Amino acid sequence: MIEQMIVNGVLAGLIYVIMAFGFTLIFGIMRIVNFAHGEFYMIGAMVVLLLFGRLGVPFFLAVAAGGFVSAALGGVIERVLFRPLVGEEMPGMIMSLAIGIILQSLALIALGPAEQTVARPFSGTWTLVDAVLPWDRTVVALSALVILGLFYLFLKFSRLGLAMQAVAQDRETSSLMGVESGMIYTAAFGIACLLAGLAGGLMAPVYTIGPYMGEQPMLKAFVVVILGGLGSLPGAVLGGLLIGLSESVLSTQLDSTLALIASFAIVLLVVLTRPTGLMGRNVR
Amino acid sequence: MKPILVFVVIAALALLPWALDTRYVFHIATMIAIMIPLALSMNLMLKLGQLSIAHPAFMGIGAYGTALLTMRLGCPPVLALLSGALFATVIAGIFGPVFLRIKGVYFVLLTYAFGEIINLIFQEWTGLFGGNSGLYGVPKFSIFGLRLTAVQDYYVLALIFVVASYAAMRAIERSDIGAMFESLNEDEMLSRSIGANALSWRIAAFSFSAFVAGISGGIYAFYIGFLSPDPFGFRLSVDLVVMNAIGGVSSVLGPLLGAILVVPLPEILRGAHEYQLLIYGVCLIVFLLFMRQGLVSLIQPRRKPA
Repeated sequence: MIEQMIVNGVLAGLIYVIMAFGFTLIFGIMRIVNFAHGEFYMIGAMVVLLLFGRLGVPFFLAVAAGGFVSAALGGVIERVLFRPLVGEEMPGMIMSLAIGIILQSLALIALGPAEQTVARPFSGTWTLVDAVLPWDRTVVALSALVILGLFYLFLKFSRLGLAMQAVAQDRETSSLMGVESGMIYTAAFGIACLLAGLAGGLMAPVYTIGPYMGEQPMLKAFVVVILGGLGSLPGAVLGGLLIGLSESVLSTQLDSTLALIASFAIVLLVVLTRPTGLMGRNVR
Repeated sequence: MKPILVFVVIAALALLPWALDTRYVFHIATMIAIMIPLALSMNLMLKLGQLSIAHPAFMGIGAYGTALLTMRLGCPPVLALLSGALFATVIAGIFGPVFLRIKGVYFVLLTYAFGEIINLIFQEWTGLFGGNSGLYGVPKFSIFGLRLTAVQDYYVLALIFVVASYAAMRAIERSDIGAMFESLNEDEMLSRSIGANALSWRIAAFSFSAFVAGISGGIYAFYIGFLSPDPFGFRLSVDLVVMNAIGGVSSVLGPLLGAILVVPLPEILRGAHEYQLLIYGVCLIVFLLFMRQGLVSLIQPRRKPA
């Protein structure tokens, strides 16, 4: 029972971590709260629905394509719509809101309001200690781990990743050192959307696909990021796993709505005691 | 354009439903009149530099509170309306000190989560709130033995509240309190150093705007007679943001204009509902990129450059 709850929590938490990473990356670098983040998740899932579900393209190729489409769109949107608002928190937030509802309504116009499903590429279960794991969730979790690992290596060792960290720490000083921040903004937004698109693509066979499917993961990413601290990647990992685990435990013991309310209560407590989140820096 | 001319036009628009005299026009006008105080309440928070996604939830608390007090406890409607709104105020007063310790992003995220949770409670606590299938049979509003049944009556009721809330918000804007809000938004450290108690004023503004939203919710409950969680969700926050962005945040006239323009849109786009959000989004982007101060900037020249 306990093993099962932990396993379920980690499986759910890993996807939250991916969503929260992108969300927190955009905030850390551009100081923009991306309300449209869930819509890039939706785009990833839509691409998988089209390529894997309809055209029979191999699953992982379809997921990668979903991530790529989402990243390309994100990069363009950043360059055209967010760039004029750099450094302005409130207009940036409202812009992301506008982009979110535009993407939602385009999905609604293109696919209609009906929820659709994709056949599961993997089926069956296996057991770990006393916990039963469905293969499809296992594949999602393993892929999530690979994505998170690659992202970590990218940030720590690639020139672009290091430049991103520099811009997140101090935009002006890093531009004095020759880091062109405009390009970094586009790259960061694109990579954040890549992560969201991959998460959406991976989760496409697990849940139903519809224009509003991004709202739940975005709410989760919000909660995770407040908990972990905006702009902090270790915070996002900690927050994601904490929320995943607490939800899994509470939804087994109580029900899923109470679990969501409880996770909100946890966040309130954290904000009361540590206003910048568990691992947040003082951002002002 | 002279402000006085704008008010003449708005007054003429407010009287227009009687000239056309159809139920449908009265319905749209009533919905506009219910939304204006809500847009104003969000505007008050925006003036403090804080985007509150919680106000639809406060409207919902006011609406459900008012409805349940009249239905279950047989409260007189006026008392229920005030108690429902006071309930929203108390909740804002409880959560405000937590939410408002932080400016900007965290505040938005917290109010967003708060709104979602309140909406989930409306959806899931079916015994009390009727869940997604809704709460039926809210009695009609009555005052001094006068029972409001026709849509015209509710339009008048809502209009009275529009005038009251507009006057209150305008008075706040022009008073020392308004000046203090502006200074808190522009330079909090400086205004605190000259003695402004930032947190208390923010909590006061948050609670007052929750009260206004709660009354709007109560009027909505009496008018529609049926409540479901859906109208009080995130979508309404988006609508309110659109109203403020199109109208302009800097003056209380902004959200008023915004509401008059935005609320009829779903009715005009009936049958092409999916295009409504698209139009909202495109309008928002156009105003953000090309007319940041909103429509009021066409009417009132800005007092000073930012």
